[in-house]
Amino acid sequence: MLNVLMLGVGQCGNRILDAINREAFGGGGAANLAKYYLRPKFPSRVETLAINTAINDLKELRFTTAKDRLHVPNLHGVGANRNVGKQAFMDNRDMIMGEIEKRGDFDIAFVITSTSGGTGSSFTPLLINELKRQYRDITVVTVAILPAREEGSIYLQNAAFCMRELMEVDAEGIILADNQNMKRFGGDIASAYNKINDMIAKRLLFLIESLDSEMLSVTDLGDFKTVMNGGLRIGTMGFYQADSKNLSISDAIENSLKPANLLYPANVADDSARAMIIIQGSREHLDVDEITKEVERLTASAGHVFKGIVIKKGNPKVLSVFTLASAPELESIYAQAARGMQDEKEKRCRARKQLDDAFAHIEDLEEIY
Amino acid sequence: MRRLICLPCLVCLLFSILLVQAAHAKEDTDDSDEVAFKDFNLNIGDRIDLGDYQMELIEIQSVRDGLVVMRTSKVGGPLDEQRALLLDSPNTFDGGAENGGITITVADIFDEQSAKVRIEYQKSLGTARKHASERPAAALDKPELSVQKSFERNQMSVGDEVKVTLTVKNTGTGQALGIKAEDAPPLPEFSYVAGYPPKIKETLDSGQSDSAVYVMSAVKDGSIRVPAIIVSYTDAKKNAKSNSSEPFNILISPKSKADLAVKLAGLAPIALDGESMLNISISNSGTASATRIEADGTVMPSEGLQVTGLEKSFFEIMPGEEANYSVRLLGQKPGNYTIRLIVNYEGGDGSVIREGTAVVVVLEREYKYQYLLLIVPIAIVIAWMYRRYREYKY
Repeated sequence: MLNVLMLGVGQCGNRILDAINREAFGGGGAANLAKYYLRPKFPSRVETLAINTAINDLKELRFTTAKDRLHVPNLHGVGANRNVGKQAFMDNRDMIMGEIEKRGDFDIAFVITSTSGGTGSSFTPLLINELKRQYRDITVVTVAILPAREEGSIYLQNAAFCMRELMEVDAEGIILADNQNMKRFGGDIASAYNKINDMIAKRLLFLIESLDSEMLSVTDLGDFKTVMNGGLRIGTMGFYQADSKNLSISDAIENSLKPANLLYPANVADDSARAMIIIQGSREHLDVDEITKEVERLTASAGHVFKGIVIKKGNPKVLSVFTLASAPELESIYAQAARGMQDEKEKRCRARKQLDDAFAHIEDLEEIY
Repeated sequence: MRRLICLPCLVCLLFSILLVQAAHAKEDTDDSDEVAFKDFNLNIGDRIDLGDYQMELIEIQSVRDGLVVMRTSKVGGPLDEQRALLLDSPNTFDGGAENGGITITVADIFDEQSAKVRIEYQKSLGTARKHASERPAAALDKPELSVQKSFERNQMSVGDEVKVTLTVKNTGTGQALGIKAEDAPPLPEFSYVAGYPPKIKETLDSGQSDSAVYVMSAVKDGSIRVPAIIVSYTDAKKNAKSNSSEPFNILISPKSKADLAVKLAGLAPIALDGESMLNISISNSGTASATRIEADGTVMPSEGLQVTGLEKSFFEIMPGEEANYSVRLLGQKPGNYTIRLIVNYEGGDGSVIREGTAVVVVLEREYKYQYLLLIVPIAIVIAWMYRRYREYKY
């Protein structure tokens, strides 16, 4: 059985972690009541911990137990300032790592965070380093959420620097999710974010379940690590569940790789480096030859594709995990972030100059009473 | 001179006196044959003296017929006659007053002892004088009946029997004969049960009394004026007399009835195989006594509840009183049981039936701490949920 650590850092990470806990109670509205009489049902031994400097963000969580909420005392958040966040982490590092250590040893850790916020974007790189230092054999995968482009220049700036730091740390890989790509799912912003959180939560739990299941065709943690180490070590996930009208497994695999079903917009055929296709469903729906053909077709473009098949009653579900050989969208984010930073710098210079000009009027004067 | 004047006056006065006396002497001489009369009220034994004549009232023979017996005699003469004189009829003796004798007329008869008598005579016989008899008055032979009619009570109810007593007493001095009581007509508010019409002795001596009793039953309510009863009789001389009682009022109330109410109390649920007592109260809220009270009852369903002592009888329950008794209940089977008590009694208007019912619950066997089977799980669930709530409360 896999020992899984799931860390939600910052507000975004906390909410995704809460969504994971809710899914562990069965999800949907029933989870609101189920948490009073059921234990969360994870496919493996899963420990969750929500970390935040803002206590109000922790209070908003509904399905994460109080002992799994760690408040890092730093007034009320870090105000989207990564430098303050880094300092707060360093000041509380022992306490944070002590809380994690209490939960035992782990085979894999998912660190879920927004790249644009204060706490999450500043804590996560440092936290990954500490995890790697404390747990020598642990596999650390970051689940990083990119901001919507219109969220503001500071968030874009944070995302840019955070992503750079995440690339520098010794983690096995990054699974990207892009709010810009996914916020179209919901009508309003709040429901869109909730849907994004649920979507990420379901895919992560599906992944953990698959890695820890007896498979018809085996994929394991090693395969997953190999996939995540491919390309830029930046990947994403796609998911598709066939409906009764179309139970074709090849269509399900193909659909799982379509941009609309990916957490991060990518062209699998052109951009993927390595991939893992995990298929779950009733035996009668899972035609191995058909699956093999589809995987082989994908291999032609993706380089190497691991496939796992889990027999479980229900319509076919396909989770695709792949790493990217190139990430053109990231470049545009960085360009936009740089422009924003440049604009910010120019504005600040102009303002400073205006202020200096204003002060010049009283340069040779003294106060008279 | 003065003497000369007084002397002729004195002479004239003397002369006048002489003239008056002379005139008077002449008048006496002329009236010696004139008839005079004088009335006397005589009691028996009284006597009138007139010259040589003596007249004595012997008896009042009949007041009704106007007959008086007088004895007339003449001292030194042959007249000595006792004659019955008829009222208002002149009776002459020695030729009557016109002829130098006397005429006696009974002017009035007062009673059995006295009468008014007129004596006519010539003045020459002298002046008639009355000599009261020195004999004691003879005892009166006069019956006097007093009549009294009385009811046993003046207030009664329809259906009640009442005893009427008629009492006749001779309070007079003579014997009452031919006594007849007329107690008619019969009162419509009563039916006459026995003894009517009342019968009284036909003869009652002085001081004697007689009574008659009859029984009536009130049949109609209301206030009734009981009329007088008339008793007629005669005395020894056949003088008819009568007397009557005083009328009076009586009140007849509507018919009295007994009204029994049956109450069954003390109906707490009985545990299975447990005992309890059922208190039964039979109270009479009517105006008459209930008699021959028989109480009996049934239990539905008949099995599962053992009832002991339900049957009971009482001789009488007076108005405003109640009779109580208890019934022992033994619960043998859980369920609801209905005890129906039927009370039969005589209530003054025939036989009456009253009923009372009670529901007795025999409980299911209660297992101790059975309620914990419900409370404990609920408490555990609540505690569990609270604990979970605390786990998620941050």
